Amino acid sequence: MLQKLWGGSMPEITYRQAIHDAMVEEMRRDKRVFLIGEDIGTYGGAFGVSAGMLAEFGPDRVIETPISEEAIIGTAAGAAMVGMRPIAELMFMDFIFLAMEPLVNQAAKARYMFGGKATVPMVVRLPGGSGTGAAAQHSQSLETILMHIPGLKVVAPSTPYDAKGLLISSIRDQNPVCFVEHKLLYKIKGEVPEEEYLIPLGEADIKRVGRDITIVASGIMVHKSLDAAKIVEEDGISIEVVDPRTLSPLDVDTIAKSVKKTGRLLVVHEAVKTAGWAGEVMASVSETKAWDYLDAPMRRLTGKDVPIPYNRHLEAAAVPQVDDIVREVRAMVNNKY
Amino acid sequence: MPIPFIMPKMDMDQETVVINEWLKKEGDMVEKGEPVVIIETDKITSEVEAPASGRLAGVLYADNEEVPVTQVIAYILEKDETEADIPDLPHKKQETFDQHPPQETLDIEPEKKHKPATPVAKRMADAEKVDLSKVPSTGEKITKEDVLSYIESLDKVAPRVQVPATPAARRIAQEQKVSLSEIIGTGPSGRVQAADVGTFIIESSEKTQPSVSLVETLPLSRIRKRIADKMTESYQNAPHIYLTVEVDMHEAEESRKRINQLANEIPVSLTSYLIRVVAWALKRHPFLNAGFEDGHIKLWDQVNIGIATAIDEGLIVPVIHNADQKTIREISKDLAYLTTQAKAGVLTMEEVRDGTFTISNLGMFGIQSFTAIINPPQTAILAVGSIKRKPIVIDKEDTIKVRPMMMMTLGADHRVVDGAVAANFLTDLVKALETPELLLM
Repeated sequence: MLQKLWGGSMPEITYRQAIHDAMVEEMRRDKRVFLIGEDIGTYGGAFGVSAGMLAEFGPDRVIETPISEEAIIGTAAGAAMVGMRPIAELMFMDFIFLAMEPLVNQAAKARYMFGGKATVPMVVRLPGGSGTGAAAQHSQSLETILMHIPGLKVVAPSTPYDAKGLLISSIRDQNPVCFVEHKLLYKIKGEVPEEEYLIPLGEADIKRVGRDITIVASGIMVHKSLDAAKIVEEDGISIEVVDPRTLSPLDVDTIAKSVKKTGRLLVVHEAVKTAGWAGEVMASVSETKAWDYLDAPMRRLTGKDVPIPYNRHLEAAAVPQVDDIVREVRAMVNNKY
Repeated sequence: MPIPFIMPKMDMDQETVVINEWLKKEGDMVEKGEPVVIIETDKITSEVEAPASGRLAGVLYADNEEVPVTQVIAYILEKDETEADIPDLPHKKQETFDQHPPQETLDIEPEKKHKPATPVAKRMADAEKVDLSKVPSTGEKITKEDVLSYIESLDKVAPRVQVPATPAARRIAQEQKVSLSEIIGTGPSGRVQAADVGTFIIESSEKTQPSVSLVETLPLSRIRKRIADKMTESYQNAPHIYLTVEVDMHEAEESRKRINQLANEIPVSLTSYLIRVVAWALKRHPFLNAGFEDGHIKLWDQVNIGIATAIDEGLIVPVIHNADQKTIREISKDLAYLTTQAKAGVLTMEEVRDGTFTISNLGMFGIQSFTAIINPPQTAILAVGSIKRKPIVIDKEDTIKVRPMMMMTLGADHRVVDGAVAANFLTDLVKALETPELLLM
């Protein structure tokens, strides 16, 4: 929505490029910002996001590490505590489990435990999600697990515009921020202004204004929901798509306001259903006045409670697709839920 | 000992009184005989006076509360007394009687009032944590059986009617004050959706849309409600029979004229004249001067004739008591006074109660003849029309004269009064009006 404020034409760049640009701009602006991760230098990162950065910033600011996620996050956390602003990249979000100790027990807690005297201004970039045929150990959506940890912020941008604005805000934030990048998003294009801009953490964005049903979705699911909206538009169904952008802290107000308007809520995420953040959204909505405006049970469309299969067809079946969203929306709006 | 301030019973069939306004508040000093509270009965508004001098305390009822008659509504404390001296309130008497220690010294919550309970019932209620004020009882005291059946009824209470509905539908239904149970739900398994409530409201408003536009919806005033209740009760319960006669009022009019010439006082009205003659006739026909109550016929020794009187608020029936023992002048004086009081709305309870027969005269409105509804528990009512001069045959020779003629319709409760009984009464009444000397015989 904010994009429209700029007016005129903006260059269209990819999500990958937007993240790359955010990092480059921040590193040029602030000497404390550096990259740390596996194969981020010459190779340019597992998804090519940091391509070319080694040449500009040198090995002191684009630090390639051995294969140890614990070391990457631990180093970043320590550096952050002593005044640096590290951007750590994990090749796959799935490997965060190897770094849970420094991330959860150290980075997330230090600021609280030291009464605010220590800050941990670090970003952990986490390519996640399925759809690349990378199988169970390289396809997970683990944002819910991170959302559960007080002290961590969780950001999951869905567009190049959001990715750049949110990443800059994340780098400048005084807290550890887990920056979740869905792998299928790297190639998508969108308008991004050349001027510097920031998107505050904790603010949802209405990606599509609608009347009949609110879909709360993030990451790749925003795009699938927007595609579904186009399809059901022909039936006269108007979907409002709310993208939280920041999953923690969650902008419940914007979501509740939308639900109050439409009377229906569908939460769509790729993370698995059980204890997934859809439940958090629905519970939060039920705690607001929007509850009294619900004209259907709040529903969720999520990844199935299975490890992501390697088989392409099964992989697609394991997570919500556009058709699933269309079917669910039609059922809910026609009271056949 | 604090002096109990008891709500007086003002009428035979009166059970409750509404406290209109306390003129004195809790803690105020009151003088014996001083008005303390304004009350409203079904018939009138009246002041209740302090039974003693002292300080008003332990006021149990607030303004606009309905109070059973003969109940203590407050106490008057003497000089050295405090609230602590107030004895246990009526509903607590049983407790002290049972030698249970009183749980509270002063409990002024009226909803906790209940009938006295037997010791067993009380023990049971305590053990089962039953609120005795909620236990229905038919007898004078709440018994063990009452408590048991109440407990049983609690278990049987039907579960809340559960209508499947979305939160939005519930909210709208509540806002629009419609019952969800009346709405057909189109959601899954008949769940009521918001749109269903909307449709229901539109459809029902279409259905009930009156073709005339409503100016105002008025609540029933107490007096209107009383009239509505009494008349409905009478019309539904008492099988009315109606008998109409036409009376030649020539002699009665002449007689009344002479009476009025005899003394330079307030002239005797036609109604007063009628009351006197009707009283005479009633004395001879006790079943017309009777009451039908609780399946019994009650014959009264007094003849108390009520006169239906239109006032701004509705209709009130002041009563000429012992009309059969009063002179026509006394009746006339009484009636003039009562009518003035009625129009001013200051009739006392004594002036409206204990009527045994009612006369309703619409003659002054030019109404020739009409039927009236009996004023229960009375058994008859006389509806009097206007006097109209018309030619009638006055003798067997077919002589035609113009005479002041008046129609009267007697309404009688057939449960008590049969047609012949009513006819005999009317015949006597007509005779007495046409031959005033009969009253001397």
